[in-house]
Amino acid sequence: MKRFAELLLVIFSWLALLVFAASFLSIFVVLLLRVRGLDAVSLFFGDTPPVDALLHGLPVFDGIYPALLGTVSVVMVAVLCAVLPGIFTGIYLAEFAGPWAHRIVNLLVDVLAGLPSIVVGLAGFSFMVLLHNLFPGAPGPCMAWSALALGFLVLPYLVRTTETALQAIPAELRRTAPTLGATKVQNIFFVLLPFRAKDLLGGVILATGRAAEDTAVIMLTGVVASAPGMHSLFKQFEALPFYIYYMSSQYRDLAELQYGFGASVTLLLLCGLFFAAAFLLQSYVSFRFRGSSWLQK
Amino acid sequence: MTRLIRAAAMVTGICTIAVFFMMLILGWPLFSHGHLLALLVGGWNPGSGQFGILPMIAGSTAIAGGALLVGTPLSLGVAFVTAVFARGRIRRVLLSCVRLMSGVPTVVYGFVALIYLVPFIRSQFHSGSGFSILTSSLVLGLLISPTMIVLFVSALDGVDPRARRAAAALGATPAQRLLYLQLSEALPGLLSGVVMGLGRAMGDTFISLMLAGNSINMPGGVLESARTLTAHIALVMAVDFHSLEFQSIYLCGFVLYLFTFMLVLILRAVNHRFQRGRVQ
Amino acid sequence: MKKIVFCFAFIAALGCCNAVFASSALDAFKGQEGVVKVAGGTAHIPVIKEAAKRIARFNPKVIVTVAGGGSGVGIRQVGEGLVDIGDAGRSATEEEISRYNLVQVKWAVDGVGVVVSPENSVKSLSTEQLQQIFAGTISNWKELGGEDHAIDLYDRDSASGTRAVFVKKALKKGAVNGGANVVVSNGAMKTAIAGDPYGIGYVSVGHIDSTVTPVALDGVVPTIPSVQDGSYPVARGLYSLTRGEPAGLSALLLNYLLSPEGQKIVEEKGFIGVK
Repeated sequence: MKRFAELLLVIFSWLALLVFAASFLSIFVVLLLRVRGLDAVSLFFGDTPPVDALLHGLPVFDGIYPALLGTVSVVMVAVLCAVLPGIFTGIYLAEFAGPWAHRIVNLLVDVLAGLPSIVVGLAGFSFMVLLHNLFPGAPGPCMAWSALALGFLVLPYLVRTTETALQAIPAELRRTAPTLGATKVQNIFFVLLPFRAKDLLGGVILATGRAAEDTAVIMLTGVVASAPGMHSLFKQFEALPFYIYYMSSQYRDLAELQYGFGASVTLLLLCGLFFAAAFLLQSYVSFRFRGSSWLQK
Repeated sequence: MTRLIRAAAMVTGICTIAVFFMMLILGWPLFSHGHLLALLVGGWNPGSGQFGILPMIAGSTAIAGGALLVGTPLSLGVAFVTAVFARGRIRRVLLSCVRLMSGVPTVVYGFVALIYLVPFIRSQFHSGSGFSILTSSLVLGLLISPTMIVLFVSALDGVDPRARRAAAALGATPAQRLLYLQLSEALPGLLSGVVMGLGRAMGDTFISLMLAGNSINMPGGVLESARTLTAHIALVMAVDFHSLEFQSIYLCGFVLYLFTFMLVLILRAVNHRFQRGRVQ
Repeated sequence: MKKIVFCFAFIAALGCCNAVFASSALDAFKGQEGVVKVAGGTAHIPVIKEAAKRIARFNPKVIVTVAGGGSGVGIRQVGEGLVDIGDAGRSATEEEISRYNLVQVKWAVDGVGVVVSPENSVKSLSTEQLQQIFAGTISNWKELGGEDHAIDLYDRDSASGTRAVFVKKALKKGAVNGGANVVVSNGAMKTAIAGDPYGIGYVSVGHIDSTVTPVALDGVVPTIPSVQDGSYPVARGLYSLTRGEPAGLSALLLNYLLSPEGQKIVEEKGFIGVK
């Protein structure tokens, strides 16, 4: 009987792996089959000559170039906004916080990490409208708002990677600089953080990948179906995930549907690239399961 | 510099708290308009002044629960293979693949499932349009799997290596080791993996928005259309900003916030026991 | 190298030609620069997108951004000053107009038609049957002479102007069953019905194409001619709203939509012009 249970466990496990692998494989195969024969130039630039679009900023219609550009820019701005507060909060948690402060901030960071992105988007939207009502000149839905809200969304990733990286530093290294007369802050910024630079960079890239993927936040704060040739922080923008969502229900013919698949593959490659880079950079230590962290997305 | 560091931590904390009060204050006109209880247990019919979000709470629960039913066994199986049955190189390759899978964007799942899975489900059953709890649970279960697998593997690996070696030396097969040693030792870790999976499933917007059908009735079966709290926010965003109907989305946000908070507390409790119970 | 230079010159020349031969309706945009933010009604999107494209081809410095969301979003966002032009598939209410000081321009006539999948054999319904279907009292195609299969209802979200018109004029304010699937735009409704052989929904007449079959209501098939001659009763206008009198680029865009060329776009996209 016991033998039977053991055998069952083995069979079940491999079966699960089979189902898991088959599901993902079928997603990838379907995507590859559907983008076969799709002309990359027209996928990205529609009927606009690529040279004009790239060099002269000629607006692109019916192509995903504006969406790609929008995603890349909004994500870069978002991470730029989040990187300092994120890393500093991480330093605070690892080096400065007293037991009570640590408990509270730690709890809040966990809550923030677990908040559904649509709630973060809703908060960003409400803040935008409040500000707009108070100061009528304040910008309406635009890339800056999306970037701020996205930055807030990915903040916990930066906090946690910084905190974990600092905590994993061996005690000898931690004590060396202070014995030589360095202050605590000097020690952190000139010795400890550079020692863990790779992990920090990995965390930043992971946050980038997470931000690139999110649709709910940008949908509520500034993304639009069509904004060709736009490139400004205070304007609305297109983005890949929203383009895919939009196309999934709005396609008028099979050609447009194929553009949706093309955009999916592009976003998949983009996010895959970010995630792969993040994992390669982060050493195993910082990626081990941490009790209170949600962030093993 | 020290001040700047403290300020950053304060800003992070205050912003997180601010989101909570934003939901509370902006939804206040609605909360004070009707009894909170009526809003939480009532139905949704804005035409006749009913702004209850119970159908959405039920929808969220059903879909997230379904996702766990799909995702947990799947993730456990893959985690068992990765942590116990596979060795060396295969194990490393599997783990990297699973991690990479966690980077697949949500909308891509939704897009592919909308084109392929929805018509498939519709053709398999005699009733229902294919936009259903079942469809979104299946996809969501797959979506949360990579996260859960990574957590499960860490939990299984966290079991004291000395105990594992001892078991192996006594002639236990990998399956026996897993069944009689690692599984019980790693239980709290596995549990927290499930809780995090639940959190991600509840918090997801686009899978249910694209695949669950968004009907406003109480869901009556797995093949029926349902609306989640998150999808409700996305849908009702479109109505008049000053209406009570719009304010109901703050109630949804409020409920989701409390739910997240609760999950974090549960995780804390589980991990506390985890750390205490571990062989030092 | 020479070849590349030639290519550049050629492309540039092509660009110039476009500008030179463009119609006079676009001349008003000459020398202009800026952004017009448009949001709201989803029936409008194909027309606005095409207009945006032609304007940008004529003068790349004028950008029109297009967002959907539904008529409710259009009216609210233009009222709050978040966008320059709000689109609505229904006339704004007195209360909305006075609260936000809105001015509305009607630039097309459209209808709202019931649609089913081309595979469906039911092609005609009475108002009463339609009311019963949407109320949920008729729930199987068998009762309407079709296949023995449950009816999949598709509805729009409550911010939709198309929905407001449909409930008022086709359902005569009848109830809609809460079990209906809810989709967020005319385009989404069309693709959902096209994919579901047992589905029934309603969509802007301008969006009806070969992927879905219009259902005759009390004997009248919703088509552009039947809406135009008034025999199909569920008609509505497509409106654009601005806060106060339209000014600047918004005014130019609305004028362009009302110009002969703009009205031609309206007709190409399946709607009825107002001029």
